[in-house]
Amino acid sequence: MTRSKIELGDVTPHNIKQLKLLNQVVFPVSYNEKFYKDVLEAGELAKLAYYNDIVVGAVCCRVDTSENSRRLYIMTLGCLYPYRRLGIGTVMVQHVLNYVYKDGNFDSIFLHVQISNEGAIDFYKKFGFEIVETKEHYYKRIEPADAHVLQKTLRPKTNQTNNQQNNQ
Amino acid sequence: MPSSNPLPPKENALFKRILRCYEHKQYKNGIKFAKQILSNPKFSEHGETLAMKGLTLNCLGRKEEAYDHVRRGLRNDLQSHVCWHVYGLLQRSDKKYDEAIKCYRNALKWDKDNIQILRDLSLLQIQMRDLEGYKDTRYQLFMLRPTQRASWIGFAISYHLLKDYETALKILDTFRNSPMICYDYEHSELLLYQNMVIQESGECEQALKHLDKYSDQICDKITVKETYGKLRLQLKQYAEAAQVYKELLNINPENTTYYARLAVVERHTKPEETLAMLQRYEDLFPRALAPRRLQLNYAIGDEFKILVDRYLRRGLHKGVPPLFVNLRSLYNDQQKVDTIQSLVLEYKEALKAHGHFSDQEKDNPREPASALLWTYYYLAQHYDHLGLTEKALNEIDAAIEHTPTLIELFVTKGRIYKHAGNVQEAYKWLDEAQGLDTADRYINSKCAKYMLRANLIKEAEETCGKFTREGVLAMENLNEMQCMWIQTEAANAYKRLGKYGEALKKCHEVDRHFSEIIEDQFDFHTYCMRKMTLRSYVGLLRLEDVLRAHPFYFKAAKCAVEVYLRLHDEPLPDPTQAQEIDTGVKTTPKYSAGSERILVSEDTVFVYTLLIHKLIKSKLSEFIPSMTPEPHSRKRADHLQQQQ
Repeated sequence: MTRSKIELGDVTPHNIKQLKLLNQVVFPVSYNEKFYKDVLEAGELAKLAYYNDIVVGAVCCRVDTSENSRRLYIMTLGCLYPYRRLGIGTVMVQHVLNYVYKDGNFDSIFLHVQISNEGAIDFYKKFGFEIVETKEHYYKRIEPADAHVLQKTLRPKTNQTNNQQNNQ
Repeated sequence: MPSSNPLPPKENALFKRILRCYEHKQYKNGIKFAKQILSNPKFSEHGETLAMKGLTLNCLGRKEEAYDHVRRGLRNDLQSHVCWHVYGLLQRSDKKYDEAIKCYRNALKWDKDNIQILRDLSLLQIQMRDLEGYKDTRYQLFMLRPTQRASWIGFAISYHLLKDYETALKILDTFRNSPMICYDYEHSELLLYQNMVIQESGECEQALKHLDKYSDQICDKITVKETYGKLRLQLKQYAEAAQVYKELLNINPENTTYYARLAVVERHTKPEETLAMLQRYEDLFPRALAPRRLQLNYAIGDEFKILVDRYLRRGLHKGVPPLFVNLRSLYNDQQKVDTIQSLVLEYKEALKAHGHFSDQEKDNPREPASALLWTYYYLAQHYDHLGLTEKALNEIDAAIEHTPTLIELFVTKGRIYKHAGNVQEAYKWLDEAQGLDTADRYINSKCAKYMLRANLIKEAEETCGKFTREGVLAMENLNEMQCMWIQTEAANAYKRLGKYGEALKKCHEVDRHFSEIIEDQFDFHTYCMRKMTLRSYVGLLRLEDVLRAHPFYFKAAKCAVEVYLRLHDEPLPDPTQAQEIDTGVKTTPKYSAGSERILVSEDTVFVYTLLIHKLIKSKLSEFIPSMTPEPHSRKRADHLQQQQ
């Protein structure tokens, strides 16, 4: 039996509605028009994930320059329920990691996770993310409203080992 | 050039410049020179100059003046081949081909060996399918220019089209042995054309010999082999034919006709034999799809179940979107339908429970997550085909729930609604699908079509506009591109809306495309002879002969006939009166009552003639169901009954 194919593709004005539809189904929060407008400009920081040529996941990031540092913020990373635990999330996180390694100028990567979402927390821990902070009442319309901040610190000095990872 | 009215040297030089200007499309200069001659009172009525001036005026779009000048010129010099030729060219540009032929003939009376006129005449003759005339003209051209390749080819084709195969072949043989021919691809095409002529003469044996003799000079190896197969089959040389088709299958194991031919040459009498043969080829070409699929046509009972089970699993595992369409032809066998349904339902339950196609495989690796999705998708189409709308909708909704990002699902949901007769809901789902990938032209077109079914003409135009040239109205651009399906759908939408004028406009646009396609042949009469693509050329001529038998034409003509009948039965009210007695019926009278009646009677006859023409050529059955009365004519029937 052939193995399933996982690929990433660009978000374009032609398929942006697929991203909207996906986010609507995957996340309990809804994103505004501004979010999608920015995503169209994000280039490699916004990707659709295809499983056997079907859109089943997406990742959207932006560069965050607050707190005197240059950090990559993962705004959304998600996958349709029937396609979880098939390695699609890993491909997306790997893509983001490759991006920051190649860039070489990021201090860290971070994201927010609802405190009840243990699956997600375990998932990110696999890639070296750690809970660095917990924000109370981060979410407005969902329960629980608190969120962990997960962060992976990047050491710019260790470029060489990172490059090896890139080549995998 | 003998002329009854020769010009002195100075004017003659000017006249030659007019001719040169015409050839180089410098029409303004041409007119200038013509005026210089005509301004001399001695030559103000000089026939050939007047004619050339007229021809030049025609190229500048001044048609009335053109006719005026050319006719005056001709009257002044009835014995000039130039005047007659020019009159012919003018008529030809006006598509009056019969008239143009007469003019050319008159021109040839005064200059019987004029190559240019003979060529122009031959083009019109083949266009009008005056095959006898064409033959005579090609003969003259041949006699005048025996060293030109086109002379030989045209001469041979003229006999071929008249079914005088013997003469055609003699000409081709002599031509091939002349030093004019060089051994290249054109020669190879010529040989294949010659073989085609032999085959059509019915001499299979001769064709085979011809092929034997020249096959190594023919570049198109596949056609050589296919021709061998066909000839050997016709000559009942089954063993040799089988060998040919085996070789062809080695080249392309996906060609279904090769398998069918092989079954014939292997003299199969029972489906089991064909099935066994296909199984052999499946082993031989394990990657080929055709032998697997074809087996399903021949297998029955348990054997069918085993085979279709394998086939379905493979498709669902891989995610083959047209799997249902691929199997649909099996659905005329109820037993096969039942088998497929029970299998796919089993897959669905097992995939839902544990991700395998059946309970027996629980220890194997799981199927891809998309397998369940494609199973729902298959079932939705399966039930839709069987007319079970409710069940089909349940399955497609389950699929959308499972994977809401797969565009095909929305298209299918729309199609289910369409089949159930709900055009509104159908178009909404297509619009949804279209929005998910606005770069997909197929879905864009489908969406436009569904919009038209829901009478949303403006919306359909906007949708199409995403793919038409910018800065031009979508419908204009689509007309320019001869996009007939949308024009026919639009015509039917207008008809349903009671906008009969608009509906007829669209129908006539389609009719015009067909006229244009027939016109376009002109380009091929010379081109194909030069390029030696003679088999395709003869194929084109034969296609054009039955062009209006095309379903696109039939659909548009049917719509036009219905509109004309409607207008005949219930003429539109006079627009001035319509405003006074507004009954709420929305009709937009395009023509005033008087002119419209004339139009109806003339055009109805025209369309009827075309339809009868089509009727003779196509199956009668196709036509009969389309004549079921439309609501308004049913009303008419009721009315008649009441009177009785």
